[in-house]
Amino acid sequence: MTAALKYEWMRLTTLRSTWWISGLAVLVGAGFTFIAAMSIRLSSPTEVSGTVDEDWSRFFLEAGMTQFSNVDPFPYLLAYAVAVLGILSWGHEYRHGMIRATLTAVPNRTAVWSAKFITVAGFVAVVAIVSCLISLVLTLLWFGGLDFQYDWLALLLAIFKRVVYTILVTWLVMAVTVLIRHQTFSLVLLYLWPLGVETLLRGLLAVFSGLTGSDDLYDLSRFLPFNAGGRIMQNWNGEFDENLDLFGEPLSALGGFLVFGLVVGVLVGASLAVFNKRDA
Amino acid sequence: MAVIQARGLGKTYKGKTAVSNLSFDVRPGTVTGFLGPNGSGKSTTMRLMLGLDRGEGQCLFDGQPFITIQDPMRHVGALLEAKPFHPTRTARNHLRMLAAPNRVPDARVDEVLGIVGLADVAGKHPSTFSLGMGQRLGLAAALLGDPHTLILDEPANGLDPQGIRWMRDLLKSLAAEGRSVFVSSHLLSEMALMADELVVIGRGRMIANGPVEQFTKQSSANHVRVRSPQASELASLIGQKLAGTGSVKLVADGELSVVGLTSQDLGDMAFENQIRIHELATIQASLEDAFLEITGGSEEYQAQPQAPRAMNQPPGPAYGGPQQPPPAGPGGYGAPSYGGPPPNQPPGGWGAPPQPPHQQGPQGHGNTPGGQA
Repeated sequence: MTAALKYEWMRLTTLRSTWWISGLAVLVGAGFTFIAAMSIRLSSPTEVSGTVDEDWSRFFLEAGMTQFSNVDPFPYLLAYAVAVLGILSWGHEYRHGMIRATLTAVPNRTAVWSAKFITVAGFVAVVAIVSCLISLVLTLLWFGGLDFQYDWLALLLAIFKRVVYTILVTWLVMAVTVLIRHQTFSLVLLYLWPLGVETLLRGLLAVFSGLTGSDDLYDLSRFLPFNAGGRIMQNWNGEFDENLDLFGEPLSALGGFLVFGLVVGVLVGASLAVFNKRDA
Repeated sequence: MAVIQARGLGKTYKGKTAVSNLSFDVRPGTVTGFLGPNGSGKSTTMRLMLGLDRGEGQCLFDGQPFITIQDPMRHVGALLEAKPFHPTRTARNHLRMLAAPNRVPDARVDEVLGIVGLADVAGKHPSTFSLGMGQRLGLAAALLGDPHTLILDEPANGLDPQGIRWMRDLLKSLAAEGRSVFVSSHLLSEMALMADELVVIGRGRMIANGPVEQFTKQSSANHVRVRSPQASELASLIGQKLAGTGSVKLVADGELSVVGLTSQDLGDMAFENQIRIHELATIQASLEDAFLEITGGSEEYQAQPQAPRAMNQPPGPAYGGPQQPPPAGPGGYGAPSYGGPPPNQPPGGWGAPPQPPHQQGPQGHGNTPGGQA
């Protein structure tokens, strides 16, 4: 396993794309935060002036730190950017015929598979943390003169949730790439599934709900994988979400994690089985 | 030094047999050539040997399957792909990446880059490499762990004549150091100069296995050419002498091709019967002759003979005179018209190991697996 981890670390860090994708993701996130925080500060809403209460302090600091991904239905964009590293980690193996070189250097397939998922997860986790910290600094730069009530534990939990979500999204697309051995298709899927397919399904469910006069159908959309995954982080939907049921509407953070995690777990498990079974 | 023992290797793709029950040994200190027509299963066999493809049988390297070897690149070096690298990872980093899990020091990376002649482009991206440079990088990867066994699939692809010669000398010198070298190639002339032993397959089945000399020696392209103004008379005498154990053919006016008798026999016969001889020459079969003869009919993909088409003339029966039949058989003159062994039937003759029902236990090695002659 150590050998496989060494290989994967070298593989990941000796590619330029690893660094420019990570750097760009952090830069764009930080830039977004900078502009958003500046706009809010300059427009001086009533919530952000003088002494900011506990709820709004937590909201604005988390929003600035995580590019407003605490707002339903905003996606956490950084996760979608760095998940590309996961796609490339397997995509390069198949696109450039590297898989055979990899398996002649490290023939243990389970070790190779595990090392990829562990190494890439660790890398994207670090990128997410770095992005959160830089964005927090930029947020405080604009909001520095305000009297915030800092809940550091809540901020740490917010970072932890982004790390978990980023890893799950990355693992999901890694698993899909192993299954279909086509990085372009995986890339398309990464954006089409949450932004296109799920949005379309939610729209259809909303239409049917309207026609039937019952919200039950639309409420089922909370179990759509990326919709559920987003709930790991989202806690504001025009009002602060509190005391949510595990699998209620909307899902709680834990409920969202369990639904999204289950989908990711199934795909990841399938990818291991297939990788071990088929020809390299 | 390690022996490679392949036993009962087999692979089927969607019901189509790609490799069937292949067994052979590769001995230390030899270059063993792996020959077969396109699509005969050479690359599949090599992948099966390394556990890259899932199939039947097993291949042992010093008694161990490849996938269980610790630090495998220090034992077995492999080149399987034409360009097995990421186009924007530098050559040096590519090798460092392969070296890291196998506990090969970075100094060795620079050393092998020097050996294959890529030291000057160590920091360049392989996207700028020619096919030949890519092959050199692949070879550098195979040599990285200073392995005792090398498995190389078409390593000469893309190399220029100097490169091919360099590779031949390198592989021969590695074998001379006692390493086992198993190499496939389409360059038969190159293989003739390089290989000590051969494994020849057709449509995934073993056709022949043994020393190169023995392979060419059994070819019916070995013959004696006799030119005589009394060719018919001499042919009759030769036919009586052969009594079905060889052949004599009148291949041109006054020219005979004789298989089964030596030029000495023929010279004596002519002298004793007062037959005038104008030429008596022993013709040795080349590896290409022997290969084409033995793999005839085993090609997966066969080109159809096409008569040349004249400019500004419509195709059709009127054009170009009488239709010429395709050549009678591989190898041209003197080559048999038999078409080689049928794909489903191994030739009973030279060196081809009998196909056991399955799995033989590893035994001592000789020219054929399992100690069979």
